Amino acid sequence: MTAGPRRALGVVAAVLVVAATAPHAHAVDQSRGRPGFCTSDTGVTVVVDFQQLGGTTLVRCNPQATSGTGLDALKGAGFQLAGTQRWGEGFVCRIENRPSAVEEIPIEGDTDYRESCVDTPPASGYWSYWHAANGCAWEYSQWGLKNRAFIQGGFEGWSFSLNATADTNPAPRIAAVRPGTEGQPCGGSSDEGRPSSTNPNEQQGDVRPNPAEQNSAQRQQPPPGGTAAPDTPGPATASGADPAALPPPKPRPSAGTPAPAPDPDHNVAFAGGENAPDVNEVLRQQSGASRYAPWAAAGLVVLLVVAALLTARRRGRARDS
Amino acid sequence: MRATYFLPRDLHPAAWWLWALGLAVAASRTTNPWLLLTIIAVAGYVVAARRGAAPWALAFRMYLYLAGCIVCLRVFFRLVFGGAEGTTILLRLPEIPLPAWAAGIRLFGAVSAESLLGGLYDGLRLAAVVVCLGAANALANPKRLLKAMPPALYEMGTAVVVALSVFPQLAESVLRVRRARKLRGGANHRRLRALHAIVIPVLEDALDRSLRLAASMDSRGYGRAALVRPRQRVATGVLMVLGLIGVCVGGYATLDGSTPRLLAGPVLVLGVVVGLLGFHLAGRRVQRTRYRPDRWRPPEVVVVLSGVGVAVTLFATSTVDPTNLNPSLLTLSWPALSWPPLVGVLLGVLPAWLSPPPAPPHAGAGHDAEEVSA
Repeated sequence: MTAGPRRALGVVAAVLVVAATAPHAHAVDQSRGRPGFCTSDTGVTVVVDFQQLGGTTLVRCNPQATSGTGLDALKGAGFQLAGTQRWGEGFVCRIENRPSAVEEIPIEGDTDYRESCVDTPPASGYWSYWHAANGCAWEYSQWGLKNRAFIQGGFEGWSFSLNATADTNPAPRIAAVRPGTEGQPCGGSSDEGRPSSTNPNEQQGDVRPNPAEQNSAQRQQPPPGGTAAPDTPGPATASGADPAALPPPKPRPSAGTPAPAPDPDHNVAFAGGENAPDVNEVLRQQSGASRYAPWAAAGLVVLLVVAALLTARRRGRARDS
Repeated sequence: MRATYFLPRDLHPAAWWLWALGLAVAASRTTNPWLLLTIIAVAGYVVAARRGAAPWALAFRMYLYLAGCIVCLRVFFRLVFGGAEGTTILLRLPEIPLPAWAAGIRLFGAVSAESLLGGLYDGLRLAAVVVCLGAANALANPKRLLKAMPPALYEMGTAVVVALSVFPQLAESVLRVRRARKLRGGANHRRLRALHAIVIPVLEDALDRSLRLAASMDSRGYGRAALVRPRQRVATGVLMVLGLIGVCVGGYATLDGSTPRLLAGPVLVLGVVVGLLGFHLAGRRVQRTRYRPDRWRPPEVVVVLSGVGVAVTLFATSTVDPTNLNPSLLTLSWPALSWPPLVGVLLGVLPAWLSPPPAPPHAGAGHDAEEVSA
C-alpha cells in the first residue's frame, strides 16, 4: 500500500511534466504558412473545403521550398488536424476540429453519427484527399497523406465527403489555379508525386516509402464500416526501415493526361483562416471543460492517497498490537 | 437503525464485486489521466478503509505493483517500437536497421512526447481496471462469494472462485515465506539464492493448499453428481455455455463503442435469455441449502449504487462531451476535464464512509475464521 501508489504517481508526474513543458500547438497556426494562394512556384497551396459540414472554405499557402509529404503540407500551412486514435496522423479524421466530437453528421444509416476519432471514419463521412498541379483538375489521391510528396507550385486539397461513392466524391470547390496564372496550360505532371527523399536519417519533413504505412493511410476508399482496415501494428507504423531496401510504391494508372482546371471564376468564397477561432478554445467550450477541474482532481488524488496511507498505517498498528 | 447499520460486519461479497466492476467499467470508458488517477485513488482509499485482515485483503499492494508494471511496460514499448507519432521529439535514440521483411516495425529512433503520453494513457486505463479488480479481491471474501452463487452455477462458480483466489493466495504465500526467512535471519544471502529459497516454498505451499482445498471441497459434497440423465445434462451445459458466450460478446460490444451495434444489445439480451433458461434447467436438479446465507441489507445497496453510479455517469457524459474522455494527443496540452465525470467518479468513494467497517478478526465471525484455516 505504501510504495506502489507513490511510485506510480512519480512516473505519471514525470511524464506529465515533460508534456507540459513542450510547446503548444494552436489553431490555424498563424505562425506557419500564409493565408491565401501561394504567389510563386515555390510552396504548395492547401485548400480545405468543408462541403456539407458548412463553414467557409480555407485556402492557405505553405511556402516550404524543400520537398515534403502531404502531412507536411497540411501542417506547414498552419492547419490543425487530428488523426484517429487507431492510425494516428496516417488517417486524418478532423481538420480545424471539423467534424467535431459534438457535431452530428447525417451519414447513411446513422443520421446522428458523431466522429469520435477512435477508429477509421465511415466511408460515408470522411475527409477525402486531393491534389493537383497548377492549372490542372483535382485528382483523388491514391496514396495516403504520409506517402506522397506535394507538388511544388501545386495544390493539395481536402474535401469532406458525405454520403458519396468513389465516383461522386466532391472535389474541392476552388480551382487549382494560382492567381495570375489563369489561362496557362495544365503545367507539370500531376502524377502521384512519388516520394522523393531516400535519406532515412531525416526525421521530419522527408518522405519515405513504406508499404506498411500505405495500409493504414488514407486511400481512395476507406474500408467500409471502418472495421476491415488491415492489421498493422498500431502506432509503430511510422516509417523506419531502410528505404533503399524497399521497392518504391508503384503508381497506379491514372486517367491519362490530367484535365485542365475549371474556370477559377466559379470558385466558392474562401478565406485564409485569419479569423478562425482558436481550436483549443473551441474544444474547451464544446467540452464544457473547467480550468479548475484538473486541479480539483489532482488535489483529490493527493488527498485520497495520503488518507489511504494514514488509514492503512493506523489499522496496521491496531492489528499488530 | 443507525447503530445496526454501522455494526461491524463483512458485507455481502457480491456488493463489493458490483461496486468494483462499476468502477472498472467507468475506467474502461476513458483515457483521461485525471479520471483514471482519481478512480485508482478512490479504489485505494476504500480498500484502505474497509478491508479486513484476511490474507486476500493484504494482497492489494500486489495489484498496485502489477498496475505500475503495466504502465511502465506500455511506455517502454512506445520507446522501443518507435514513438515518432507527433511533432514534439523528446529524444533521438539511434535507430536499429531491420531487414526488409520487417518493414513497418521500427526499433528505437526518435521518440515523441505524444506517443509516450499515448502509451501512458493507454497503460493507465488498463492499470485502473486491474486496481479495481484488486480492490474487489481485497474487499470481498472469495469463499463467501462461492456460497452466494446461485445453485445452477456451482460447478462453474467453483472453478471461477478457485481461479480468482489463486493470485491473492500466492501473494500471501510470498509474504509469509519472506517473513519466515527474515525471522530465521537468512536475509543476507545472494539474490539468486534468496529467490530460490522463496520460490520453492511458495510452490510447495500452493500445491499443499490446492490438495487441502480439494479434500475440503470433497468432504463438503462438491462435485456430487445428482441423478440426471446424460442428455439433459448435455442440454443444460450447452445452454449455459452458449448463454455465457452471448453475455460475454454482448457485454464487450456494449462497453466498446466501436463494435457494430448489432453485436451489443441483441446478443446481450439473447445471451441473458439463453443463460437464464440454462440456469433454470440446471437449478432444478440441484438441491442444496445454505448455511447462514449472507443477507442483502441497506449498506449493500448503497455500495452497489455507488459503483453503478460511477459507471452510469461516465456512460452519460461520454455521449454529452466525448472530447474530455479521450483527450486528443495531437495538440500537446494538459488534458482538459469537466466537472460531471469527476463528480461521478467521486461517487465511488462513498462506501468508505457509508458502509459498516469489517468485522474484527476472531470476534463475531467464528465460521469465517474457521473457513480461512480450512
